[in-house]
Amino acid sequence: MAAPRLTSPLQAVPLALLVVLEAWVVIDLLGVGDRRWAVGLGILWIANILLLALSAIFRWRLARWVGLVGLGSAYVVMHALVLGVQLVAALAFVSLLIAQVELRILAERFAPLFAATITPAERRKIGGALMRAVVRLAIALVFSIVVPLLTANLSATGLVPVTTIPTAFLLSAALVAVVVLLALLPAMEQRVPDSSIGMTGRKG
Amino acid sequence: MRTSLSSGLAAASLGLLLFGLALQSWQVVLLSLPPIIVLALGSLAPPPRPRIVAVRSVGRERIAAGQEVDVELIVRNEGPVLDLVEVADLFPREFALVRGTNRAVDSLESGGTLVLAYTIRSDVKGDYVLGPVRARSFDPLALGAEDAVLDLRSRIVVAPAMEDLRRVPLQPRRTRPWFGQVPSRRIGAGTEFWGIREYASGDEVRRINWKASARFERLYTNEYEGERSGDVVIVVDARRESFVGTDANNPIEHGVRAALGIADRVLSTKNRAGLIVQRNVLDVVPLAFGRKQLYRILEHLTHVRPGGEWPFAHVATVLSRFFPRDCLVVLITPLQDRGALGTVIGLVARGYDVAIVSPSGLEIERRLRNSTEVDETAYRILRMERVNLIGQLRRVAQVVDWDPATPLALALRRMVTWPRPA
Repeated sequence: MAAPRLTSPLQAVPLALLVVLEAWVVIDLLGVGDRRWAVGLGILWIANILLLALSAIFRWRLARWVGLVGLGSAYVVMHALVLGVQLVAALAFVSLLIAQVELRILAERFAPLFAATITPAERRKIGGALMRAVVRLAIALVFSIVVPLLTANLSATGLVPVTTIPTAFLLSAALVAVVVLLALLPAMEQRVPDSSIGMTGRKG
Repeated sequence: MRTSLSSGLAAASLGLLLFGLALQSWQVVLLSLPPIIVLALGSLAPPPRPRIVAVRSVGRERIAAGQEVDVELIVRNEGPVLDLVEVADLFPREFALVRGTNRAVDSLESGGTLVLAYTIRSDVKGDYVLGPVRARSFDPLALGAEDAVLDLRSRIVVAPAMEDLRRVPLQPRRTRPWFGQVPSRRIGAGTEFWGIREYASGDEVRRINWKASARFERLYTNEYEGERSGDVVIVVDARRESFVGTDANNPIEHGVRAALGIADRVLSTKNRAGLIVQRNVLDVVPLAFGRKQLYRILEHLTHVRPGGEWPFAHVATVLSRFFPRDCLVVLITPLQDRGALGTVIGLVARGYDVAIVSPSGLEIERRLRNSTEVDETAYRILRMERVNLIGQLRRVAQVVDWDPATPLALALRRMVTWPRPA
């Protein structure tokens, strides 16, 4: 039978994270003094809520994507243009947003497996796979906060000046190179022929 | 293989970078790092390419349309651990899944196995191939995926369902010299009394008519009507224009069902049967007796698909070349074109005995549509045209107007004799 001890938290955590993120944006939004900005950002926030609600009701993936982009945009625009960016909080927000997406995907993929598994051995096997994924995600999230902070600290001490235009260009060029490399890596891998074999037979 | 999430993370990173550069805000520029770091760390541990071995067991390799078949696929992982793998055993779209599932997502250890057990059914006849097996190894964080295709194929032949025509008096009018079950209106070996004649040396004792012999004080022998066999050629019109309706419910599918039933009936009554199918090509099965011939006809009918745009009159050419003139020609056609009239008149003029079974495409189409007033008017007009054509055909041949929703035997039994007497 299902393993509610595992599946319930697996499905609840992404939702809880989303609620935290939405509340975070609302609290920050209340601090916006300029009425025009407050209204504009409020509309963006309401649009994101509506889209997420629609995606939950009608299972529209595109609406969910656009809703999450709306949530992130509302936060970044609000802080970049109105409130000012507090680096640690902003990094935490972006990392939590990524974590929410990843955890929802994990929940979507692993919850049905737990629901369908019967034997403890199978449950252990799937639990192991889930644990490996969560550990990888946790490491990635820690790095995603620590590395930019380290960069900021290095720039503050003057070792790596990120505030100059040439450095910004260099950084952007490096990012573009990383993205291009990541996109090309699968194509550059040497394809080995399938070693899989199949047999067919008759039942009974 | 990249996923939408990895593309989304890369796009978010680039967007934040450009936004930061535009605002000249180093903090926003630094915000572009988290997505790219998650992406980079995700790419350091890509999902392994699935290396699997599979065995598929199929309950039966030959089934009748509408019959269920059990399939079991056992997949074993011969490669490294697959945290999340989706295995799909593909089958043709003509099949419907009845029970179980043909795809599953699971976590497979090295040497671990996954069993897919399912039951499928096809209402459309044909020669199908199950497979291939597709396996996709997912990165649980949705940052990549690897595909593998296992070329494992299993053949399943779905034979058309057969109409039950056991009680239908279906027989050729003209007979051939071979023994059979058709009264030949000639003296010969049979069971029906024909007359008596004077006893001749060598006559069997059990054929002596003792009553007549006693009355005339001479020996008389009974004579019987010879029972012989005849030839029936079944012509199936499977041209593209005869196709109306869905894959499972169209005049060609019903025509094939009727052809098989008629062939079975003809062959079981010790007559010879042949087949012509007019589709992309002209299939011809020469006349022959017996069970093997039924299988030959079944094999050809199984592969019938709508196709070909040639005139119906081509059938007459094939008939005159490959089949004798004293055979009964059973045309199975929805009579979608008026050219059929000329062809049938031509066949009758050449001396063929012609009978027509016409599965009504009009009735099929009517059932598939929501009936509006316009549809009803169109139906009445087309119905009148059809009745008119059938009326003209009935002057030269026996015509069975068959609504495929009813059993063919019922439509055939409405005829007084079939085919009509000479």
